[in-house]
Parts: sequence; C-alpha cells; structure tokens
Amino acid sequence: MDYFKQTLKTDCEDLLARFQATASVRFEEFSAIWREMKFSSIFYGILEPSEKKVFTRLVLSAASQYLLPPYSFQIRVGGLYLLYSLYTSQFNVPKERIRIALKDWDELIRFQQDAVNAQHYDVVYILKKLLSEQAVCFTAMPDTLSFQVKKKRVDRRQQLCESFVDRPTRPQELIGTDLLEELANVHEHYEGLKKAILPRPPQSNLSLVKPNLVPKLRSAVLTFCSWQQNQAEFGSPSDGDAGEGTSSQAHDESSRRAQLLASIKSRSYAQAVEASRSRRHRQIELTSAAQDSESTRQIPRFRKPPSLKMRTSSRFTAEGSENGGLQRTTRLWRLTAVEGEKTEEKKKRRFIWKERMRSEH
Amino acid sequence: MAEGGDTNAVNENVPVYEHVGVNSKPFHLGSFRDLWLSVLKPEDYSFNETSGEIEDAQFIEELGITPQTLEELKTICSPDSLRCHAEDETPDPDLVPANPQLATLKLRKRRLDYKKTLIRDIVGRHDMFSNELEMLSLGRRAEDASDTVPEGEIILTFNIMYPVLFVRFRHVRAYQTLHVLGSQKLTELRDAICCVSDLQVFGEFSNTPDMVPQFISKDHYKSAFFFFEGIFYNDMRFPECRDISTVTRDWAKTRGFPEFNTAKMEEATFSDLRMKVGYPYLYCHQGDCEHVLILTDVRLVHKDDCLDRKLYPLLSHKHRVMTRKCCACHLYISRWITTNDTLAPMDPCLYCDQCFRLLHYDQHGNKRGDFQAYAYVDPGAFN
Repeated sequence: MDYFKQTLKTDCEDLLARFQATASVRFEEFSAIWREMKFSSIFYGILEPSEKKVFTRLVLSAASQYLLPPYSFQIRVGGLYLLYSLYTSQFNVPKERIRIALKDWDELIRFQQDAVNAQHYDVVYILKKLLSEQAVCFTAMPDTLSFQVKKKRVDRRQQLCESFVDRPTRPQELIGTDLLEELANVHEHYEGLKKAILPRPPQSNLSLVKPNLVPKLRSAVLTFCSWQQNQAEFGSPSDGDAGEGTSSQAHDESSRRAQLLASIKSRSYAQAVEASRSRRHRQIELTSAAQDSESTRQIPRFRKPPSLKMRTSSRFTAEGSENGGLQRTTRLWRLTAVEGEKTEEKKKRRFIWKERMRSEH
Repeated sequence: MAEGGDTNAVNENVPVYEHVGVNSKPFHLGSFRDLWLSVLKPEDYSFNETSGEIEDAQFIEELGITPQTLEELKTICSPDSLRCHAEDETPDPDLVPANPQLATLKLRKRRLDYKKTLIRDIVGRHDMFSNELEMLSLGRRAEDASDTVPEGEIILTFNIMYPVLFVRFRHVRAYQTLHVLGSQKLTELRDAICCVSDLQVFGEFSNTPDMVPQFISKDHYKSAFFFFEGIFYNDMRFPECRDISTVTRDWAKTRGFPEFNTAKMEEATFSDLRMKVGYPYLYCHQGDCEHVLILTDVRLVHKDDCLDRKLYPLLSHKHRVMTRKCCACHLYISRWITTNDTLAPMDPCLYCDQCFRLLHYDQHGNKRGDFQAYAYVDPGAFN
C-alpha cells in the first residue's frame, strides 16, 4: 500500500493549496473545494476489505501531518477539515480512527485555544465533534513503527511543503540589536585579553574568530531576510495559479524551477562578482562560508542537509584563518566535485542466504 | 497538562522519536498511560456515548454563542456538504470513476486495470483468514461485566517474528501480531506466542510408531525469557524452570558489557515496563529458539475495540505458511520424517501418518527395511 504515499501527498497538498488560495478558514470554502475535486472518490475502487482498512489508515496518517506545526494556522485548519472529511466519508465499519500522539496533544489543545480566541466556531465545532465521536485514537507515536531501517531514507525524512509553512522569523528574533551589541562587547573583550596574553602581535593560527564577526553576522541575517522576501514575492504567484487545475503538477514544478533560476540570476547580477559566463548561474554559492552555512540551515528548500564532509570543510574554512587563496580553492572544489553525493550512493550489501550457507559449510 | 513547566521525569515518558520513523525513545508504559489520562477528559475515552443535547449545551456555553449559530454550524459542517455526487444517484464505491482527477485514483486505476489482466485461480485465502480473525474480535463485549476491559486501559501491539522457517521465506518476515493489555502479565504474552519448536517431540520411533509420547517440548523445557531494555524477564512459574539467560549474562560479563538485570516474567505487567516503540527486542524459549519482538503501537482502548478481557492477548495477524504434504499421497500434512530410508525417494522424506504406516510396516506392525523415523511438526500447523 505504500506506493500510494506519494500520490496521497500530492492530492492532499493540492487540496490544501487551493484552500490556501482562498485565504479563508471557513468550512464552506473547504467543502466547496472538496466537492469540486470529488475528493470522496479517493475511497472508491478498493476491492478487498482488508486493503480498504490499510488504505484508510494510510490516508489518515498522510493527512494528519498537516494538523500539526510547523504548518501555518490556515493549513492546520485545512488539515483538520481534511481529516474530518476523510473520516466521515470512509466506508469502513467500524471507522478507522485518527491517530494522535501524546507529544502532539498539547499542540492540538493550543490550536483549539487559538481557534476559540479568534472565534473560528467551525474549527472548534469540528474538533469537538471529532473528539465526541471518539474518532481519535490516543497513541504513543503518530504511526505504528516496526524498525524498518532499510526502507528508503527519502520517505522517512519529513518532506515539508514549504509554501504551507509560516516564514521562519527565528533568526531575526534571535539576532537582535541587543545581542549584536553584547556580542561586540564580548568580542572586544576577547581581543583585548588576547593582546594582553601574547607578547607579540597575534599570529594567524591563533585568530580563530573572524575579526569582523559582528558586522558579518548582521549582514548574514539581512541577506537571509531579503532572501525570504524574494522568496515570498516569487511564491505568491505560484499560490495563485495553484487553484487552476489538478493537472498542473508538472507545470508547477517547472515554473518553480524557473523562478528559482530567475531569483538566482537576479541576485548574482546584483552582487556583480566577476566570473566566467558559464559559471554565472552558480554565483550565489560563492558567498562567505559563515554566511553560507547560516543560510543553508534556514532554507527549507534544501531538503538534503549537506554531508558531514561538506559541513566539516565549511566549518573548517569558517573557523580557520582568513586565507583567501585557500578558501577559494576549497570552495571551488566544493562546487565542482560534489563528493558528498557520491559517497551516499554507495551500494549496500544485501543479505544473500546462499552465500551465507556457503560460508557456513 | 504536560506543558513546559513540568519536570524532566514526566516529560521523559512522553514518547518521542529516537530515529524518525524507526523507533521511539524508551518510556514507562504505565506513566505514559497516566499522562494521557491526565490530559484527556473522561468522556474522551469513555465507552458510553454522551447524548447530543448535552454536548450542544456545553458547546454553546463554552463559546458563548447562540443556539442559532450552532444550528448554522451544524448544517455547514454536516458530512452531507462533502458529498461529491447528486443526491439521487449513488456511485458504486467499488468502481474507480471514469476520469479520475486525483493522483491516487489515477495510480489505483492503473493498478486495478493491471490486476484484472492477471489470471487468478486461487481465491485470496489470506483475506478470508484475516476476515475470520477479525470477526472473532470485532466489537466483542464481555458476557460477564467483570471481564470488561476498564476504560483508559492501554493496548500494546506486538509483532513477533519467527526465526527463518525455510530458505523460501528469507524475504518475507513471517510474524504474528498480538494485542495485549497493559495490565496483563508478561507470561500471558509468552503463552500466546505459538511456535513450532514448542511442539517438537524428541526421539526415534521407527520401532514403536504407536508409542509416540504425548509430551512435547513445551512440557519438558518450560524456561523462556524476554529481553526488554537491558532486563531479562525469566519465566519462573514452574519448579523445573531455570534461568536460561545466565549463559548470556555470564558471557557478557566476561566481555566487559555492563551488568544486565533479571526479573521474573510472572511478576511484571506490561505497565511496569520501560520500552521503546518500534525497537526490536528478544523472546527466547526452548533454549535457542529466538524471536525478534517489536512493540509497534501503544494506544488507549477505544469503544470499538474488543472489550472482552478474556480474549486478550488477541491475535490479529498470522503469517500463513504453506504446509508440507506427505510425499506419497501429496494430500495430507506430514507427520513423520524418515532418514536412511531405503523405501523413500529422498532423504529425509516426509509422510503423513497413514502412508507412513502402510509403507513401512506389514500387517502385523513389523518394521520393513532399515530406517529412522521421527515425529514431524509442520510449521503450518497453526494455520
């Protein structure tokens, strides 16, 4: 049944994207979209009764992730409606239930409180109705687990639909003016201490911290902010056309790629760093190492976190001296040879019974 | 409410992932249950249904809205608003609509169309069996009120893997799924696990085929243990039980592993355990028959579950094995296995009881030829 996972995800996200485009949290809007998409028909055409159950469980677990943060409030409302609609339109007797894990319960209560405060009565009503119908199964974990380590790692990593997520504001909150001032003081103090300890002017191998740490940090946050704004500007038209039709999956993908290319291009022009024509499309990655690592951590688009090798080398270059030549070579190497990917594709050894038997004899 | 201000001791029992999608961190099952009960209202997990009017009244009171608003809400949010077809027509749920828009339906249509092209001459017996199993437990209420599962009890789901049965099954994880209650003893799970190695009869019986003793290994060797989170739970219910984990523990001691603890299986209930969800543990019996055991799910009991205490541990899935048939009649399940048999086409060779006697003994029950015969228990005996 797992082969439905991906398609279920696209269906749910399609529905929720349309719901997001309405910019409303009303159930009327949701049910209109539901009817338009004929979403109830998702349960049609399952022959064996056991399959029916497994499939329902799968749909509910696919939908329940939208009920929880990091998604924005509107998407969570959409997720709740989706769960409710799926629950009521399934054909199983007794009905398959929605699994809620203990760790997520607090979030749900907080969500309900938010809805009450904002006077979204339909949200509260549906939540209450699900609870009073005992449609919720109170479990330890969101899914049943059976230690499937060898399953593809790709589906295990939670793939967030980034357009549904609120823009993260954590870095901006964290690095405020107070913190910067404090940091500048500490840094000054540190430099002073170092001067006091060393008889000679500090050698390059002792300067572990960049001299212009504070301005760099500030500029990194600013770049991140502007990147976010860029992203939002490019993101909004794609939200708009998500409501057009269900068949626009491929089109969506390609347009997103085009936008990405455009944004990269515009930024690289803005920076005006000299480079050969052929390498121009890669220029954004040629920012300073500290900034680079900062932004990769925040960008939700990079689903694959950089490999250990990459992270180590970037940290090394960040902490090491400001040796321009050395950094340039390493970074160029990083851009051209993506070694991390190759090592990940190493073939895994399969357990072959025959070989095992042979070796025993 | 388990919120920020809580101590570490409490939060530790809120299960969280250790490895995402693989297993959870260990937590105490009993405290986990108490945590759920503390955050829920009693009516959330009660078996009785509260009446609609009371709920409505509560809802109006809580939100401070007028009854008209509630009526409006009800009509807006009623499941009828989700109906995707006209009121007078009801589409056949077994048919995929002609032009599906949803990606899932497209995939399913493709798969179903493919399935139709396959010639299937066997009716899906597995589905039949699983339906039968389900019917046994579906919505069962206890006849005696005292046997009803109490509200707020936890149900644990265990997958019990078998040691590799045949070379053929190396890609299939043969397992059975058992549901147990948190208040049950570990021994109840141990007794519910059925494994062929419990049924073996030892000895060579070619001279006296009628004298096969009725004692099976289960009666001879009663020791067994579970290994959960660094603790060996030994079955010590009977005087002849021994602590068979000693060997392992002694070995571990000489190899510089940390000390392992032991406990008695019959004294521990599942609520007393600290376990990880989704993490492999061990059940060992008959000395060396080792089963991997995975706790796949822990949840509160629901009114639709089987509520008869006596039916737990409840079997909900059982791997069905093809039985090995007698080599002579190819009809009955084998009961005997012979070696060094001059009459047999291969060595070893399987026979059902009838064919075995007809082939190997004359009218007076005298042995023909030279061979050794052992009792054979088919792995499919539990089907």
